[in-house]
Amino acid sequence: MHATPSPPGRALGRLGPALGRLGPALAAAAAVLALWYLLARSGVVAPALLPTPAETLAALVDGARSGTLTADLGASLARAGQGFALGALIGSALGFATGYLPKLSAAVTPVVSFLRPIPAIALVPLATAWFGIGETAKRLLIAYAVLLAVWLYVHDGVSRVPVSHLRAARTLGAPVHRRFVEVLLPAAAPAVLAALRYGASVALLALVAAELGGADSGLAYRLQVDGQFLRVDRMFAGLLVLGSLGVVVDLVLAAIGRRFAHWSTS
Amino acid sequence: MSLAVRLEGLSVRYGAAPVLERTDLELPAGSFTALLGPSGCGKSTVLGAVAGFVPPATGRVTAGSRPVHGPGPDRGVVFQHYALFPWRTARGNVEFALKRLGLPRAERRRRALEALAEVGLADGTDKYPAQLSGGMQQRVALARALAAEPEVLLMDEPFGALDALTRTRMQRLLRELWERRGTTVLFVTHDIDEALALAQRVVVLGGTPGRVLADHTVPDGPPDPDLRSLIARHLGSE
Repeated sequence: MHATPSPPGRALGRLGPALGRLGPALAAAAAVLALWYLLARSGVVAPALLPTPAETLAALVDGARSGTLTADLGASLARAGQGFALGALIGSALGFATGYLPKLSAAVTPVVSFLRPIPAIALVPLATAWFGIGETAKRLLIAYAVLLAVWLYVHDGVSRVPVSHLRAARTLGAPVHRRFVEVLLPAAAPAVLAALRYGASVALLALVAAELGGADSGLAYRLQVDGQFLRVDRMFAGLLVLGSLGVVVDLVLAAIGRRFAHWSTS
Repeated sequence: MSLAVRLEGLSVRYGAAPVLERTDLELPAGSFTALLGPSGCGKSTVLGAVAGFVPPATGRVTAGSRPVHGPGPDRGVVFQHYALFPWRTARGNVEFALKRLGLPRAERRRRALEALAEVGLADGTDKYPAQLSGGMQQRVALARALAAEPEVLLMDEPFGALDALTRTRMQRLLRELWERRGTTVLFVTHDIDEALALAQRVVVLGGTPGRVLADHTVPDGPPDPDLRSLIARHLGSE
């Protein structure tokens, strides 16, 4: 016998801590899956209303093979992505402006507090009336919802940047452009990244609202069509994709956050 | 290089509340003055007015021949809670101050390391502030302030959060740096012993709104218990 552990042993040793962290989540997922399976098979719920996990997987594979699912995913991603990009850009700019200038903030806060409680779905009819049922209406609706969310979070983050950081920069002779790029921007970076994560979840909500309000493609549109035909297996597959999309986007943004705001404890 | 600082009839208000009333004070170029007083007596306000953070309600502040209209690199500040940039390493914080001088990158790096070595921080120059102890952070803050080559150094209870031993070490370091550089220093503290250990002159501030209660020259040599009790009486008369 060699004294050193074999390569597979070492690999397992490294895997151990990761499994330890993921363990509870995996256990919970397995429990939900088991419960779902039992409920679908027990007959308590009519089989026509609740597909088994296997049937859902089959619908998923079927959708991917026929290209419907991938086409819908592509259409939804394009809408959500473009709407998010536009909303996040304008929302961040406004957040920096009002967060840094208290007078501007005092002027626009009443307007924002009025607009904020109106859910995106309530604006679908208006957006349709103004821009028709085309892509423009959907992108603008998503952009609007993201803009408000990102604005609020970025504003909050920028207004919390310690005044001593900005004062220190001035006493060190940094002109206004350096104070913005080298102090305000990095100091607000953790808040901006949190704002983008929140904004991405809002983009998905607004996406569903926009597609349900009238579309000819997209994940939520497909859910509506499948609902009319009572294809619960396909609806489950669609919901699974929608949920996974949210998780993946959030994980990516969180990873970017750790990279760019590594010094932040939050 | 150092500048004289002059306060002429300086009054400061926060909103309607006066915090400092018609105060005159002159700090000769290269002098080391401690501003002593209980919290809320306006001593940080005096420092803020010299730094240019706080606009005077009446009167004026001059640094050298120029009136103070805002913060500037001629007046460096060491903040109570260090105010280091947490996204920059110790060296990065000092390099921030050096950028003003328009040096090439390598020269900036060399000077930053030199400035950190001068305050006794040769190791850990690539650590972030959160990875450094309070004493180490204040050393970085001191190196950063001095790297911008200020002619006046303003310090707002800079050692207040440090333990006694670290505090004594930092006082010794500051005194050495001042003796070597001859920068005009205004040091705000509420600790009599700290004021006496560091400064050539102790100005006692008190009252609401704040005003100068006493102004003492600290003789060189061993601590003078009579002066200490005299100043303690001025403080206690509040």
